[in-house]
Amino acid sequence: MIRPHDSVIVHTLARVFTPIIQLFALYVLIHGHDSPGGGFQAGTLFAASFLLPIIAFGIQGSLAALEKRAIILGGVGILLYAGIGLLPLLLGGEFLNYGKLPIPGMETAALRHWGILGVEIGVTITVAATAVSIYYSLRERGEGQ
Amino acid sequence: MTSSLPGFLFAIPFFAAIVIPVVGFTNQKLCRPIALGALLFLSIVSVIALSEVVSHGPLSHEFGGWAPPIGIEWVIDGLSGLLMVAISVVSFIALVLAGPLVEKELSGRVIPFYSLSLLLITALGGMVLAGDLFNLFVFLEIGSLASYVLVGVAGGRSLLSAFRYLILGTIGASLYLLGVGYFYAETGTLNMADMALRLPEVLDSRAVLTGLIFIVLGLAIKMGLFPLHGWLPDAYTYAPNSSTPLLASVVTKVPLYAFVRIAFWVFGIDAVSTQIPILVVLGWIGAVAAIVGAYLAIWQENFKRMLAYSSVSSMGLFMLGFSLGTETGFAGALFYVLADTLMKAALFGVAGAAIYQCGASTVTDLAQLRRNMPWVLAALLVSALSMVGIPPTAGFFGKWHLVVGALEAENYFAVVAILVSSMLTALYFFRMFQRMWVEPLPKPEPLVLETPLPIRMGLGILTFGIVALGLGGDLVMGLFFESVIPKGF
Amino acid sequence: MADILFSRPHFIAFIILFLLGMYIMVVCLNLVKKLIGMYIMQTSIILFFITLAVKADSTIPIIMPSVSALTPEAYANPLPHVLMLTAIVVGVSTLGVSLAMVLALYRQYNTLEEDQILGKVK
Repeated sequence: MIRPHDSVIVHTLARVFTPIIQLFALYVLIHGHDSPGGGFQAGTLFAASFLLPIIAFGIQGSLAALEKRAIILGGVGILLYAGIGLLPLLLGGEFLNYGKLPIPGMETAALRHWGILGVEIGVTITVAATAVSIYYSLRERGEGQ
Repeated sequence: MTSSLPGFLFAIPFFAAIVIPVVGFTNQKLCRPIALGALLFLSIVSVIALSEVVSHGPLSHEFGGWAPPIGIEWVIDGLSGLLMVAISVVSFIALVLAGPLVEKELSGRVIPFYSLSLLLITALGGMVLAGDLFNLFVFLEIGSLASYVLVGVAGGRSLLSAFRYLILGTIGASLYLLGVGYFYAETGTLNMADMALRLPEVLDSRAVLTGLIFIVLGLAIKMGLFPLHGWLPDAYTYAPNSSTPLLASVVTKVPLYAFVRIAFWVFGIDAVSTQIPILVVLGWIGAVAAIVGAYLAIWQENFKRMLAYSSVSSMGLFMLGFSLGTETGFAGALFYVLADTLMKAALFGVAGAAIYQCGASTVTDLAQLRRNMPWVLAALLVSALSMVGIPPTAGFFGKWHLVVGALEAENYFAVVAILVSSMLTALYFFRMFQRMWVEPLPKPEPLVLETPLPIRMGLGILTFGIVALGLGGDLVMGLFFESVIPKGF
Repeated sequence: MADILFSRPHFIAFIILFLLGMYIMVVCLNLVKKLIGMYIMQTSIILFFITLAVKADSTIPIIMPSVSALTPEAYANPLPHVLMLTAIVVGVSTLGVSLAMVLALYRQYNTLEEDQILGKVK
């Protein structure tokens, strides 16, 4: 059982910093095209923003219920990535050829832009879910699994 | 020309590996049908791909639409198509075989087992089909991570062996990556076909030599070539019986394929045997590995440990065959690799069945098999005869061509090594049969029930496959000489 | 010999880190220390690749508005950077799996020293 931290400074700063970290993670994800960043880094930052309240306040009811959802979210993220990759394969192109995604009305360069953003979102979801579920599994438990 | 078949060969097991945890959390019984269905579909697609390649020539798939050498491409040619068929078919049979074993030993961890097995098969397929050196590294690591967890998933004694396998395997992959770095520094490309064009100019630079040595060392750790096989006996012995048929039959063969691809296609037979004589060194190492592995197997009491040392010996024989430098030797080694996937899957399946049914894990306890398990006993008999090299099994065909190839290359040390290792193999297998039939059972045993249907079916198909491969060996050899063996011998 | 060594300090750094990682893996008996050694070794290889990408008077391989024309000489080689992103992720996944294994070993044997675990196993 992760016990809540007993300092009021940690509590206050955790409350203040969690939304800032999430905003920064979104920034890193979306600006991955033009500056250092992208899916993996944003996923790690998202995971940090989930873990900071857990470390500060301990795991209580709703946060404990997130565990099962975390692993499923990891699968959903990869399915998003693989789905975006598979659609061009089924339509006659190659795997991960975003230029052949079936969205009407966009030319190839814009399609590639949005395709990369889509797979990066998938990667972010997976990395965040995986990091959080690793942390959940490190807790002390009654019986092991 | 780009074709979408390689993309499907990647996407099918990958999707199944992802879908299994998502679906399995709601209904656990769906894991096994999804896994088996995906592997059956994969086998059919890989057979179609192989027939395409044999009739029309190599297929390539450029990921993302970017043409090589800038983009990443996957290439199916004769050798990779053949190995893809072997991997998908044997892993399908191994997973069929493992069904009852999974329910018994891994009862709470069924979802991770199937998901990781499919991820392992995706990664092995990726390694076989990769046309790019770094892509090979990525899939090597994915496959290795899946196999570390498959070794350790049962908990208990298997965890320490899995940890050791992890440390050694990561060292191996890091050495491979270092070698790729040296190659990139010298040639400026990572695509295998492009590097084959650029290597002849820089072949006498020290960076290429060092890179090749690092790559060979890294891949040797991964394939379990003596003396870098330290992780193999513990990992195969203590891994759960559900994973060992899959692990032992295909996982070590794919780094061997990677080495063959780099040595014969990227470098060319001339470069690796005369200018950088690495094939000569590997030939000696292979010969020593074959003899020492078989010798160490004689002293083992645990059946799975005996089979693990037998795998070390087989890997030595493969390396010996590939480094002979003749067409017959190459073809013989490749045939023996195919035969060995079937043989090891059957043997480890027998080991699993014996432990499942009567708790028999040592060589003496295996005598209980003769009571009421005819299928398991038949599989054991045929696989053992094939390992020794007795006609008409596939092992005999492969070893025959190995010896002929060695005689063609006038490498009499290799001939001696092959024959000595075969005799030592005969020693430990026939000792087992002697305890089974000649000596009486120690005490009256309770009646043992027949094994469940999936085990019987899986072992039956493998036994039939070994004999059929041996009888149809000429056809397979014809296929090899036509489309699989590299030119330039 | 000395001029070769001192004109390429990054190779010296790579060699020292690589050998340090290997030494830690071989000598230390604590499992977590072995993992630290493994990660140092992987990081040294990543460092080696990145140093292959550097060109004289070049900046990071991201298109900068301040550089007027799109000249390849102004940017460092982006390919090793991209490869090493993948290698870092592979290293992190390996570290995750290995830490999970170490945790399972600790729950099983209640110690993290390899000789004690081997003693309990026998």
